[in-house]
Amino acid sequence: MSTATAPAPVEEQPPFRPGLIARSIAAFSGTPGFVIKIVLLGLTNALAVWAAVVLVDTSRWIALGILVAATALIDFVYLVPRQWAIPLKFLIPGTVFLIAFEIVPILYTIEVAFSNYSTGHIASKADAIKQIKINSLEAPANGKQYEIAPARDANGKLVLILHVDGASAVYVGTKKGLSPLSKSDVKLDENGIPAAAKGYTLIKGAELFTLDRQLQGFDIPTTGDAAIEPQGVHQAVELQPTLRYDPAHDRFVRIRDGLVYANNGRGSFAAVNHPRDELEPGWKAYIGAANFKKLATSPLYRNPFLRVFIWTLAYATLTVLLSFALGLFIAIALDKKGLRGQRLYRSALVIPYAMPGFLSLLVWGGLLNDQFGVVNRTLLAPFGLHVPWLFDANWARVSVIMVSVWLTTPYFFLVSMGALQSIPAELTEAARVDGGAGWAVFRRVTLPLLLVAVAPLMIASFAFNFNNFNNIFLLTGGGPCSGTSSVACSTDILISYSYKLAIASGKGNDYGLASTVGIVIFFIVASISAFGFWRSKSLENLR
Amino acid sequence: MTTRARSKESREPDARGSGARPQQARLVSPRMERQLMQNSLTRMWALLGAIAALAAILVSTATAAHKAVTIVIWTDSDRAAAVTKVANDWATTNGATIKVVTKNFGDIRDNLGTVAAADAPDVITAAHDWTGQLAANGLVQPLYPSKAVRSQFPSYTLNAFSYGTAVKKLYGIPAAVENIGLVVNTKLAKTPTTFKQLETEALAQKKKAHLSFGIAVQQGSGGDAYHMYPFFSGLGGYIFGTNKAGNLDPSDIGVASPTLIKNSGLINKWNKEGLINSVVDGAAAQNAFLKGQAAFWITGPWNSDTLKKSGLSFKVIQMPAIVKPSVPFLGVQGFMVTKYADAHGVGSAATDLVTNFFASPSAQTQLAAANGRPPANVKAKSNDPVLAQFSAASKGGVPMPNIPQMNSVWGDLGQAWVKSTKGAGATPAAVAFKTAARAIADKIG
Repeated sequence: MSTATAPAPVEEQPPFRPGLIARSIAAFSGTPGFVIKIVLLGLTNALAVWAAVVLVDTSRWIALGILVAATALIDFVYLVPRQWAIPLKFLIPGTVFLIAFEIVPILYTIEVAFSNYSTGHIASKADAIKQIKINSLEAPANGKQYEIAPARDANGKLVLILHVDGASAVYVGTKKGLSPLSKSDVKLDENGIPAAAKGYTLIKGAELFTLDRQLQGFDIPTTGDAAIEPQGVHQAVELQPTLRYDPAHDRFVRIRDGLVYANNGRGSFAAVNHPRDELEPGWKAYIGAANFKKLATSPLYRNPFLRVFIWTLAYATLTVLLSFALGLFIAIALDKKGLRGQRLYRSALVIPYAMPGFLSLLVWGGLLNDQFGVVNRTLLAPFGLHVPWLFDANWARVSVIMVSVWLTTPYFFLVSMGALQSIPAELTEAARVDGGAGWAVFRRVTLPLLLVAVAPLMIASFAFNFNNFNNIFLLTGGGPCSGTSSVACSTDILISYSYKLAIASGKGNDYGLASTVGIVIFFIVASISAFGFWRSKSLENLR
Repeated sequence: MTTRARSKESREPDARGSGARPQQARLVSPRMERQLMQNSLTRMWALLGAIAALAAILVSTATAAHKAVTIVIWTDSDRAAAVTKVANDWATTNGATIKVVTKNFGDIRDNLGTVAAADAPDVITAAHDWTGQLAANGLVQPLYPSKAVRSQFPSYTLNAFSYGTAVKKLYGIPAAVENIGLVVNTKLAKTPTTFKQLETEALAQKKKAHLSFGIAVQQGSGGDAYHMYPFFSGLGGYIFGTNKAGNLDPSDIGVASPTLIKNSGLINKWNKEGLINSVVDGAAAQNAFLKGQAAFWITGPWNSDTLKKSGLSFKVIQMPAIVKPSVPFLGVQGFMVTKYADAHGVGSAATDLVTNFFASPSAQTQLAAANGRPPANVKAKSNDPVLAQFSAASKGGVPMPNIPQMNSVWGDLGQAWVKSTKGAGATPAAVAFKTAARAIADKIG
């Protein structure tokens, strides 16, 4: 104790030598740093110019304004030396990434939750109408198919030379209609495609594909609504529409019988007398809180919710508590000074944490296989035991928790090890001197101090495990299913349950419903975490 | 206290000295700052130069891609080389350029719905059972191949790519077909001609090799309705019925069809005697067969190389009929033209490439060979004897339903098999399949 208070002997200060990191940073000041800065800024600006071209192309003026302002701000901050701009140099990159990777996805999730974005409803309304028209085309009763060759007539105007598929008749087609040609004037290749025609110059080679836009609109009218439409550069088909769009009433009318498909306000044109008969594709539309209502009222979603919720809570809580207990136990055991091979033990213990979770989960799935897995076959068989690890509901729950604990323990081991070393030895020594037994000292001194540091991490780990999709999906896939539905099986947690609901059910992908469940889960996790942090604050008063 | 006071004192003279700008916050020396101010013109020019150069590169590449006829094709890694070669054969004679983008097969379907129009493909490699989902999303264009082209394909392959609730349209050109078959180890068992024979042979081998199952067919805890389909169809089950217009009807679910329920006692019997066991997953089934323990393995052409290398003497047949023919699911892979092709100005080029060139026998041979599958075009001959046996095993098979409602079926149907064939404590098959049918109907809604 006395040495600490004694005045330190005055020594000659050695010349200042910055550390390795400081020196490597310093190497970037001066010309290399300037070059790097200019290149990075140049890249940013070039990207902005490119983005501006795209935005002008699509007439998004508000976005363009934001882009220009942001780019100008970035350039100013990094180029013009001003005292007040220096903190911004550090703030701007962080803010940009915060907006790009946190705020935008959150806003997008909220937006999607209030829409019907799902299979059959991903297009814009204009695209959907266009596609319905294309899909409604039908070959008329005696409609023909043609082999075609685009050609130019004597005046250089685009025409089509047509040959009836499977017959011998040949025609020349303009936007006005068909006129027959003499068979002897047209030569056909082995596929029946016109190869030469008297009086016309066939368009060949590279020029052919530059006609794309012209060919798309090159419809040769035949009888009634029907027209011959080119499909590619070598085929044309006679088609007639079966539906007519009526923009005044925003509806489709079936030409055959006048059946009306009205806009149902939920992103589809549906038959008025049969609302389930919808035209495909529909479009993405805002449907208010309908997804939330569906989640709350539909028995398919509501009934298993509580059961899944309780299991999710149990899964996350048990994983965190058991991992913490085990990690702390190991950390205390290895905390002994002078233990041999301490580094080796520590490295070995971190392996589950360092290995990619995907890999270890799949390996565990193999290890726990009922009949062929190492656990049953090699470890348990000699004792005459056989555990249906993944095939019995309760055992599957045990397996899932066991593997999660295996994956999470190293984290708590590392955290506890650090936290233990930060607890002053004087405190525990003083407690011992006061006559505390080992357990009492641990419980009343070490643990509370440890929890101050570790409790927030436990809450974070809880939130992580609450949504630990990988562990469940890769190990059991949510199974085994014993109830009436494969949507919520015995080890499904909320996130895997919502995945099954939204991504692998109904007509395919229901992103709207998935986002809704995501928001609900967010509120559950947020309120539990908030409660946890509020409780852990009381721990901090210990300090 | 004393140190803080001292540092404050020491700062003050400096702050006074440098006037308006306080010295202590300065990060660069006055000399350097002057130099920087002088350099500020230079740096503006340097920046402008860098911007101009980079912007020119970015904008020119973006516009260059717009001008030439460039067709972007999304395909999987197995087929990438073959697609590149075949498409380039076509492109060089037609003055177009091909850009092949390699993706995970499943991602092609999923990403097509979310990709930005500028990056979107014009042509995709697709599985036929995506047709409904892609068409319902309005992402792919109908195709109209000529009679001559259509006549070269078995009608089921074209049906597999056709979809439409009102007007049925063809959305893809088939390239390769696949189906599972029953692989028999001919050293261990006689090739069965009836299901009874198969059962007897399999159970005899089960006893001899101390296995827990007779036929190696993969399920695992997640279930596998695809590999179980021969049993399912053999017992009289079906997935969706067809309506009057000949379209698949998602409201007619045959997962618990009366015929299947009537014969479901057979499943309970197989479970009891251990003919099939849901514990067996993909790896376990493969191991048991390749190690010469199991005499029968249900698998597809993706394992034909494995089989050839194994050195076993084997034969691939269709599983013998149970009460109905035990047909497999048929899978067809092919090519589709996306809705983006028109917007990119390459609609007619992409349509031509897919409907005429990819459909031709020589292209089909190369495309199918790249993926180890028999080609769909009947004129394109595959001279691989094992693939030919798999093809023969497809007789009477049913294309996997291509309507999006199929998403609701896989999980529940797989689980019905898992529950009813898990050995001790299995659910009676009639209950398991009725439950599955109800759950599927609920999900389709």
